[in-house]
Amino acid sequence: MSSSIQLVVIGAGPGGYAAAFLAADLGLEVAIVEKELNPGGVCLYRGCIPSKALLHVAKIISEAKHAKAFGIEYNEPKIDVNKLRDWKKSVVSKLTGGLGQLAKARKIKYFQGEASFINSNTLKIKKADGSSEELSFQKAILATGSRPSVIPNLPKSPDIWDSTGALDMENIPANLLVVGGGYIGMELGTVYHELGSKVSVVEMTPGLLPGADRDLSDVLYKRVKGMLSKIMLETKVVKMETSKGGITVTFNDKDGNGFKEEYNKVLVSIGRRPNSENLGLENTKVKVTPRGFVEVNDQRQTADPNIYAIGDIAGDPMLAHKASHEGRVAVETIAGHKVAFEPQAIPAVVFTDPEIAWCGLTEIDAAKAGREVTVVKFPWAASGRALTLDRTEGLTKLIIDPKTQRVLGVGIVGVGAGEMIAEGVVAIEMGAVAADLKLSIHPHPTLSETIMEAAESFFGHSTHIYKPKK
Amino acid sequence: MAELKLPELGENITQGTVTKILVKSGDTVKKGQNILELETDKAVLEVPSSSDGTIGEILIKAGAVVKVGQPIFNLTGSSSTSTPETKTAPTKSEAPSETKTAEPAKPAVVAAASGGIFDMNLPALGENIEKGTVTKVLVKAGDTLKKGQNILEIETDKAVLEVPSASAGVIKEILIKAGAVIKVGQPIFKIEGCTAAPSAAPETPATAPAKKDAAAEAKMTSSVESATKVSVPVTNVTPGPMPVRKDIPAAPSVRLLARELGLDLAQIPGSGKGGRISIDDVKAYCKMLNTSPAAGGTGRPAAAQPLPNFTKWGSVRREAMNNVRKKTAEHLSYAWTSIPHVTQFDKVDITELEKLRKSISGTNKKISVTPFIIKVVAAALKKFPQFNASIDMSTQEIVYKDYVNIGVAVDTDRGLLVPVLKNVDKMSILQISDELTAMAERARMRKTTIEEMQGGCFTISNLGGIGGSSFTPIVNWPEVAILGVSRGSMEQVYSDGHFVPRLMLPLSLSYDHRMIDGADGARFIRWVCEAIQQPFLLDLNK
Repeated sequence: MSSSIQLVVIGAGPGGYAAAFLAADLGLEVAIVEKELNPGGVCLYRGCIPSKALLHVAKIISEAKHAKAFGIEYNEPKIDVNKLRDWKKSVVSKLTGGLGQLAKARKIKYFQGEASFINSNTLKIKKADGSSEELSFQKAILATGSRPSVIPNLPKSPDIWDSTGALDMENIPANLLVVGGGYIGMELGTVYHELGSKVSVVEMTPGLLPGADRDLSDVLYKRVKGMLSKIMLETKVVKMETSKGGITVTFNDKDGNGFKEEYNKVLVSIGRRPNSENLGLENTKVKVTPRGFVEVNDQRQTADPNIYAIGDIAGDPMLAHKASHEGRVAVETIAGHKVAFEPQAIPAVVFTDPEIAWCGLTEIDAAKAGREVTVVKFPWAASGRALTLDRTEGLTKLIIDPKTQRVLGVGIVGVGAGEMIAEGVVAIEMGAVAADLKLSIHPHPTLSETIMEAAESFFGHSTHIYKPKK
Repeated sequence: MAELKLPELGENITQGTVTKILVKSGDTVKKGQNILELETDKAVLEVPSSSDGTIGEILIKAGAVVKVGQPIFNLTGSSSTSTPETKTAPTKSEAPSETKTAEPAKPAVVAAASGGIFDMNLPALGENIEKGTVTKVLVKAGDTLKKGQNILEIETDKAVLEVPSASAGVIKEILIKAGAVIKVGQPIFKIEGCTAAPSAAPETPATAPAKKDAAAEAKMTSSVESATKVSVPVTNVTPGPMPVRKDIPAAPSVRLLARELGLDLAQIPGSGKGGRISIDDVKAYCKMLNTSPAAGGTGRPAAAQPLPNFTKWGSVRREAMNNVRKKTAEHLSYAWTSIPHVTQFDKVDITELEKLRKSISGTNKKISVTPFIIKVVAAALKKFPQFNASIDMSTQEIVYKDYVNIGVAVDTDRGLLVPVLKNVDKMSILQISDELTAMAERARMRKTTIEEMQGGCFTISNLGGIGGSSFTPIVNWPEVAILGVSRGSMEQVYSDGHFVPRLMLPLSLSYDHRMIDGADGARFIRWVCEAIQQPFLLDLNK
């Protein structure tokens, strides 16, 4: 009678496949419905992984240039775009193929296709081969992710890219405009800059990386201002038209002055929106917010008790590591464990050069909440390791509760900040106090010492910074 | 070859120290034969074997601390693997291994999966939850049940849970109704035509207990779907009982533990820097709750202060507390911190009582003053029912008891024990005296059972044999009052115009001021004094 599968996961990005794999490991019978041949999702196919591969290349080019300062001079690099693209693709296919095998080894039923709900217990699957099938299930996890937001009424042109187009890298344009100074725009802008494009950035708000701590984003701004050809803040894109050389863009700056520029390519990176349409959610009890997010509780259960939602579709921040954590919470809940999605700190990393990373409470959040905090900063100019890298523009800051001395937030800008932030996450999750960071011996000479020394300065003294006594 | 495991020894007792092993390897044991002597918190128990067989290997030795559920012997030629039962252990249906982890509501388990009409029982709802109140019955007779469908909503002490069905079938009869308190394992429905009745395998494969009892195994093999594969049920959670609390300084592992135990982290005092809550803080809090299920939250033992280094002033010696001392320390600090105490003093003229007592005491049979006091107190408890009661702060109720059981503090070489005389109101003074003597003797011989120390309504502590003019006893929670008796002495009493020598006995009544007002405390002790002086009052007041 009931041949229903215990769990079906819709979408196999980092959230979906983590959920499906754990469920299988816990002994549940699991199916995945996914458009691609293998698991991976945007992150692996069109996001984190390919962009990091390209950013690594960008970094090598940049460091080779930088080496001139130390008396090491290289010739201008010759860039074989086809080879570079193939290498990037090989990274992606290695990873996604490996995931496909992991799914197989776990005996997960894999449907390549698209799913929509017929009711709270049944899915219709339109398979990639054109056939379709109904699947009845006991529990479902929605993990359909997000896609780039688009500007309405844009002309149809191959010269207007979204992040996917930029990562496909059909060529390296001479002129590139990045619309939106968020993390995607800044990361891909950096890549194309190092590959030889003249890159301009236009951003509506007064600063790059809206939402990030100003102390951190200012450091990035100072560096890229000298590198990129133009950074237009508080400026709006009014119009885009196809023209002979590519796209002509009309801007409007903060004083209302309009002006036009022509670019070979335009990268639109103004954010991402959840994929909650065309899933048949109206046939279930699932509730969707006006912004398209699916409403969930602490267990990531939607208003429909049989359906859970994780990852980008379940709300901000839209980050892979948040999605996979949510996936594990949802699955453990389904398996009867008493768990909750209760992170104290979700790290965010911008893989620009320098990298920016933060977690926990930010100074902006504290100010908004009217919460009293003590902020301590350690400038990397006082770090021996930063000096050896000739990259002393970095900064490490801690947000500390003055009463309990607990570490509430950590922010870092500088080379390798993305790797360093993990220490901050552990400190916050473990409820560490400033003294814990100060008293834990950090290896010398590393950039991680800046966290220890920032904690020291909370107590009024830091080895490598002298503050005259008042 | 089968393993004999240490059975459940009683509520909240998880382990005991082996004092004697009564058999040796190669011995043939019969079912019921005592095989082990074990010292637990309060009593020495003899553990009988539950099956016939020959002792193979002995897996423990004298002096070892053995946990409930731990294998103690290998037994050959036994017909069953079931654990032995102690005579004194309160009956508990849960297998010991199942109490280790907190579990969410499991699908209702079907007792017999062979089709036809069978009972569906209430499944285990979680650790330490034995019953719940039915808030809603989600199905009715005649309904066709689907596997996984929610059938009941149950409110337990901790949360409202939805109970899913583990099988498909047609409901023939509903055996419970909304508002009823039902116990785990109790039949809830009669079901017909079971086609798929998978056993609810509660643990994941990795943590599956090594041994299940025979009945559970039978259930597993009779399941239709789980013939080859371990079936893990999906769970229907009722969200919301434990909302996520931001900004509580506790590591993720600590938060997980608290959630599993159903504890609210915000209630747990953190001992670390910045109020950080450790695993030990959670365990200590949990233990405190366990020893006081009806606590009103008033008593939270202060965190232990570090001791000074005593060796600075001379040599010292450290000795482990014995079980009785540990239990006494825990119990009394809970009683002291959670009960607002008041002690009322009075004196009773026992000149006449002494004459009577001496006249009926023979050379072989000495009757002390205690049985007389017990008899009078038993009558007083009926006269003043608020003294024969307990407070349930969790439900904001007072529990009045219709029985009269009185505990008597007994001084033993291991420490204080309080065996309880049951139904003293129905006993004569001589019967009380005999029973008291026997009980005190058993306590000193370490033969008192856990059961004998439970169920008290009121406690009497007589230190008169040692001396002293008065003392302030601590109420023996969950009781609400205790009577301390000191040494009687001859005093000048002004009576009928002149002083006369009378034998006066000092009494101290400590009571729980939450329950008993000062005036009632004074009335109670006055009534006791007058009844001892004029025993006819006992009958007059009936």
